Amino acid sequence: MFRTIKPSAASADRARLSGGETLEQLVRAEEGLVSRRIFTDPEIYRIEQEKIFERAWFFIGHESEIPNPGDLVTRPCGVDPVVLVRDDEGVIRVFLNSCRHRGMRVCRTDKDNARFLRCPYHGWAYRTDGSLVSVPAESHYGPGELEKEKLGLIPVAQLGIYHGLIFATWNEHAPPLKEWLGDMAWYLDIIVNRTGGIEIVGTPQIWDVDCSWKFAVDNFTDNVHVFSAHQSLVQLGMLPNDPDFACHGNMITTGNGHILHFVKGAPGEAAFLYLGLPKEMWPLFDKNLKPAQKEIAAAHGISAGTVWPNFHWLQLVTSGEMNGHPHAYLNFRLELPLGPTRTRMYSWLAIDKAASAEYRKISYETYVRTFGPGGIFDQDDMENWEDCTIANVGPAAKRHTLHHTMGVNRKTDPNWPGPGRAYSDSYGEMTQRAWYAEWRRMMTAADGAGK
Amino acid sequence: MSGADHLPGSPLHNEVTHFLYVEAKLLDNSRYSDWFSLFTEDVRYWMPVRTTRFLAAGKGFDEDMALIDDNYISLKTRAKRLESDSAWAESPPSRTRHFITNVMVKDGAAGEIAVSSCFMVTRTRSDRDYQFFTGVREDSLRCIEGGLRIARRKILIDQTVITNTNLSILF
Ligand code: FES
Ligand SMILES: [Fe+2]
Repeated sequence: MFRTIKPSAASADRARLSGGETLEQLVRAEEGLVSRRIFTDPEIYRIEQEKIFERAWFFIGHESEIPNPGDLVTRPCGVDPVVLVRDDEGVIRVFLNSCRHRGMRVCRTDKDNARFLRCPYHGWAYRTDGSLVSVPAESHYGPGELEKEKLGLIPVAQLGIYHGLIFATWNEHAPPLKEWLGDMAWYLDIIVNRTGGIEIVGTPQIWDVDCSWKFAVDNFTDNVHVFSAHQSLVQLGMLPNDPDFACHGNMITTGNGHILHFVKGAPGEAAFLYLGLPKEMWPLFDKNLKPAQKEIAAAHGISAGTVWPNFHWLQLVTSGEMNGHPHAYLNFRLELPLGPTRTRMYSWLAIDKAASAEYRKISYETYVRTFGPGGIFDQDDMENWEDCTIANVGPAAKRHTLHHTMGVNRKTDPNWPGPGRAYSDSYGEMTQRAWYAEWRRMMTAADGAGK
Repeated sequence: MSGADHLPGSPLHNEVTHFLYVEAKLLDNSRYSDWFSLFTEDVRYWMPVRTTRFLAAGKGFDEDMALIDDNYISLKTRAKRLESDSAWAESPPSRTRHFITNVMVKDGAAGEIAVSSCFMVTRTRSDRDYQFFTGVREDSLRCIEGGLRIARRKILIDQTVITNTNLSILF
């Protein structure tokens, strides 16, 4: 079995890092004090490979990206390359994208439609269900030398689909996806099922940033940065000239490290109701959501969330140009760490299946103009992730913590209609603190389930 | 691009090449408003996402998703932003150099001039190493009041994974 996770003596040794500190000492999440060392240290990065990237559930793609039998896309699952394929029977499968013979990458394009997955090296060919179907020069293997039925492509340990979102894990001991998501599933309903389902537009934008993957994650549910980091857009009249403008909302932690927020617009601003979707789609919310879910969606314009550790949504309402009208779009995000200080970003646009052609077009334009590597919002974020990384590789910096204390004493909001712990005022660092607490738990847990 | 060719050395080829050099110089000298004045109001300034595909599937450009897809106002927004003092991805500014080569000029549709040119753009910012961006630009130029203007620019970037942090510069 590929990469079986065993509780081992090595795990216990790793509780103490070189230098003598423990991860518990480095990540005092509850106090909002996280060591800079965890972002750039190669030793910690190596531990993450086993403790996080072999154990957690990861977003792979969406059903709509592979509508037909034989459709495939290549993606990461954690940090390993996989092929996401719809087999001849229509079953969705995820395999390590590596041949059983010498480990050659089998699928070598970003997307394709194939009857067989054929390895170019010696020509082993697999069915779309992963089974090995033909081996050239097979007659040269003696009896018992080639057990074809045992040499199918290596599947992920578990695969789970939630409203078309495909997740997978290498960890056979991980809880099933529904349990892993827990209360986060209730919020995912709002984001991806409010109008009866979403689909992906085109292919993802993919780009590399010289940053720690955790700085990109940290930024994702950060509302406070918007006024300063995106100051150029304030100057261009695309964001309100008010440092508090994104504070009207709630921060929510749902357990297992999953985090999100909902943000309101100014009172009475129709563009910030029903997550910014056009009015003609509002009745669909009643049909597809529970009353409390609908109540939340109806009252808010913006939401960002992180399914721990590295899958994110951004439901944004913004203009794509100076003095323009605000429009909504739904963006999915994934970080693939390439090393302690380099990260590959994947960014998708999703659209409600019920959307009109007009809304699809404006949603696409607004997304491309503001997010992704060419987006005039997002590109300033990448500058911050890189400089946060550059400034924290040195030994002196690594002796100090970062500061995540906003709202550390804030009480939960008893009136929030949804599950999880909600905190009113969407300026707060409780989402990041919850994410780091889960990171510490997984990094120090002994068994394969992360317990 | 199926119209008549204008060969290197011909008056139109000379004029177009000079225009592209002037444009590149404006970008490398951070004169973004002047650069923006070279575009027509119906411009589409567009860089589709590229994917790795087998040859039979074409060049892998995805017409449904882009890295940049601007109209006149959003391109103006991009240019103005770069002149603000708070577009942090470019403030302090990168140093760029736009190398424009392989200029091919043909008569296009509706009196327009169809131009393709290769680019290599280098960027270095703060203390970081060089980054390279290469590709082809397919432009439709229009002659307006005696001067050339860009009515459409399709930027066919060579990378499928943009390995260079972001696309905060112009092409
Ligand atoms: S490595 Fe795939 S056939 Fe040999
Ligand atoms: Fe941001």
